[in-house]
Amino acid sequence: MAETNASEPIIRCHAVNKWFGNFHVLKDVDLDVMPQEVVVIIGPSGSGKSTFIRCINRLEEHQEGQIIVDGIELSHDVRNIAAIRSEIGMVFQQFNLFPHLTVLDNVALAPRYVRRQPRRTAEEIALQLLERVGIPEQARKYPGQLSGGQQQRVAIARALAMQPKIMLFDEPTSALDPEMIKEVLDVMKQLAQSGMTMLVVTHEMGFAREVADRIVLFDEGRIVEMGTPEHFFTNPQHERTKLFLSQIL
Amino acid sequence: MRGPYTDPSVYVAPSEAPPSRRPPITSVGPLGWLRANLFSSKINSAATILMGALVVWFLWGFLSWSVRSAQWGVIYHNLRLVTSGLYDRREIWRMELVAGILTLLSGLGLGVWGRVSRGVFIAVLVILLILVVVPVLAARVPEPTIYLLVEPQRAPSDFVFVGLRGQEASFAFDPLTDAQDTDERLLGFVENQSRTEWAIRAAEARAGDLDLGQYNLAVTLRLLDRQGKPLTPQAGSAPGDFAGGPAGGTLSYTLPADGWYVLEVRRDDSVNGAAGDNAGYAWIRVQGVETFASQEAAAQARAEQFGAPPAVERALFADENSYRFEGARSVAEFFSLQVAPLFSRIAMPCFVGALLFFNGWVIGVLGKREKAVRRAVLGGWILSAPAILIILRGFEGSRALPLVPTSVWGGLLLTILLTVVGIVASFPLGVALALGRRSELPAIKWTCTLFIETVRGVPLITILFMAKQIVPFFWSALSGLDLTIRMMIGVTLFSAVYLAENVRGGLQIIPHGQIEAARALGLNPPLTMTLIVLPQALRAVIPAIVGQFISLFKDTSLVAVVGLFELVGIVDRIVSGQTIYRPYQREAYIVIAVIYFVISYAMSDVSRRLEQSGAGSIRRL
Repeated sequence: MAETNASEPIIRCHAVNKWFGNFHVLKDVDLDVMPQEVVVIIGPSGSGKSTFIRCINRLEEHQEGQIIVDGIELSHDVRNIAAIRSEIGMVFQQFNLFPHLTVLDNVALAPRYVRRQPRRTAEEIALQLLERVGIPEQARKYPGQLSGGQQQRVAIARALAMQPKIMLFDEPTSALDPEMIKEVLDVMKQLAQSGMTMLVVTHEMGFAREVADRIVLFDEGRIVEMGTPEHFFTNPQHERTKLFLSQIL
Repeated sequence: MRGPYTDPSVYVAPSEAPPSRRPPITSVGPLGWLRANLFSSKINSAATILMGALVVWFLWGFLSWSVRSAQWGVIYHNLRLVTSGLYDRREIWRMELVAGILTLLSGLGLGVWGRVSRGVFIAVLVILLILVVVPVLAARVPEPTIYLLVEPQRAPSDFVFVGLRGQEASFAFDPLTDAQDTDERLLGFVENQSRTEWAIRAAEARAGDLDLGQYNLAVTLRLLDRQGKPLTPQAGSAPGDFAGGPAGGTLSYTLPADGWYVLEVRRDDSVNGAAGDNAGYAWIRVQGVETFASQEAAAQARAEQFGAPPAVERALFADENSYRFEGARSVAEFFSLQVAPLFSRIAMPCFVGALLFFNGWVIGVLGKREKAVRRAVLGGWILSAPAILIILRGFEGSRALPLVPTSVWGGLLLTILLTVVGIVASFPLGVALALGRRSELPAIKWTCTLFIETVRGVPLITILFMAKQIVPFFWSALSGLDLTIRMMIGVTLFSAVYLAENVRGGLQIIPHGQIEAARALGLNPPLTMTLIVLPQALRAVIPAIVGQFISLFKDTSLVAVVGLFELVGIVDRIVSGQTIYRPYQREAYIVIAVIYFVISYAMSDVSRRLEQSGAGSIRRL
């Protein structure tokens, strides 16, 4: 595994193309992400932004182009995929917690079975992570007994338990009640401040403005505009960007 | 009243919410429950009353039949056959050993992993108490009358019985000299041949074809002890003399010691002149004499206690098999005649079982925290399966454990064995087939699909016949395989394909997000399957799987058609093979139905508990 170098991009995507059947979802997407960078991806539904970040940990397979994560190129080699997945944590819109396991087991599962940590160590780390996301007292409950916001925070803790270098967020707040969005965004902000490399697909413009180093706008499978939040919210260039921002702000 | 509104356009609630009040009495508690559930509408009330009446009517009919006239002896006289079939009688201790092992292991398991509520504990004690108390109380219920018919065609038999010291036995001689005597309702044990004979003669007398008034029997009754020494004077001296004339009388005697007695019944043909001149019918009513279970039991147990029965030329033993109960029993008689014999048979095994279970439970509870104890119990359970099979089967040529071929295993033993083997073997096979059918590799997928659809399209009975005859014909290696084992394989395959379809249904409801989340965490496909998908999928289909196992349990009865005597087969053999039990098919099959029901219900109860236990949050995916 390559040594992480602060001046080298940790994720390099070059001319990524993907089709669902005949439908061209991603068209020549180029994106480099630096270590500790927070990149927020916005765009209308169906623009390919979720598909793009799912390609980065190989939940979707791209057909053309190159994706290199931490010096490892994504290919059909199963070992590469496993190595990359253990470097990348992912948080889903629908949380996807394991309903048959307690919160603690949800968080400790992957370290125990993938990293082969002893049960006690894994659970200690899991408890620390639950404390970090602010719900240590829910450790013995089942996901079904938690509110949406709490579930999503557990999902973040679960992803962090593998000590990933990169975190992917796929619309983490879209399935939440308005009152719960803030608690999740707070955890994400805290995570960004701690220096985590993050790729976030979201519609939360406040979060993008405050936390993002870079904002990327996707439309029809390609990157339409990319820039700092300041650039994006004060001086957008592309017509599509202007239209998109005018509709959601 | 308009409530708190004074100005209809503006309303601000007081800062404190009003205190909660109790709901009206008609909406909570038992009354509320009745109203809300059983009598909520006119149609509901009508349905409640109608169905309630129907159930009460049916239950009343069934209960009164089973208390008043049913003869459950067909089961409790044949407990050994019902539980273990034709299993070698001398080797029956092995069955008892196996039952003991399982009871002990169950106790240990419950102690280590389970919890017992105080209610269950008390219930067990109460049941044990009842098992003891009923036979003791039942001994105080007077014995019902025994009827023997004296008739002209058949030379009367001597009546052989076991008496206890101080028992007051009485023998009434009741000539039937009047057509009105045919109306007399019998209440008690009627000797089988007397019963059929009298049924014919009474009908003739009623039709006027037979004149009962032509009574001409000279009969002498005399009580003898085992050696044949007369205890009562013979004809001529009162009150034992019933010789000649339509006279009746009663012979009463207090028995001097425990042991065999004979009521000598002599018809003096010389008094009536030449043979054939005899006419008339008479009942001998025996009271205060206990009937015993069966002649077979008498030959063993009574012989040990009182020596061999006295040798008499034409003996009629006071065993229940020679008699049939007529008339309606009282509840007390039901307990003394039907319940007590069963209880006194099962009381001892129940006590030993309860003691073993309790010991196991105590050890389990005490050793719960020790890893070694937990491992030992788990190991014991795992080892028990081969151990039980070895104990039951034995070895060829062994003296301590001689071979008992599986072909003679039967009754409940075979039913449970087929079920347990079927469940244990078909579960992994079914899961594997379900995963195979969902495999991404077409070769595996198609093979599994073909297998599932083929077996599913064939009735179980056909599979069993195939296992018996066709398969060994094509594949000679299998013809040496034991029939019982071939049946196990047939039942297992049949159950596995249905299980596979149930499990496939469970796999389909697992959202794809679960698999994605597992993959994103770096879990490989086998781990994803065993840690994430299968636990949820199987839990979701517990009711269907247990339903499948229950029907497997009931379907094992089909092996009777290929010649194995499991529960249904052996009972069929009892009621159709032994003439004395032929009239009691209803009782026999009702008992089997109850056995099947109890076990099936226990299985579905376990399934309900499994569904509710632990992470029951599957519904809130």
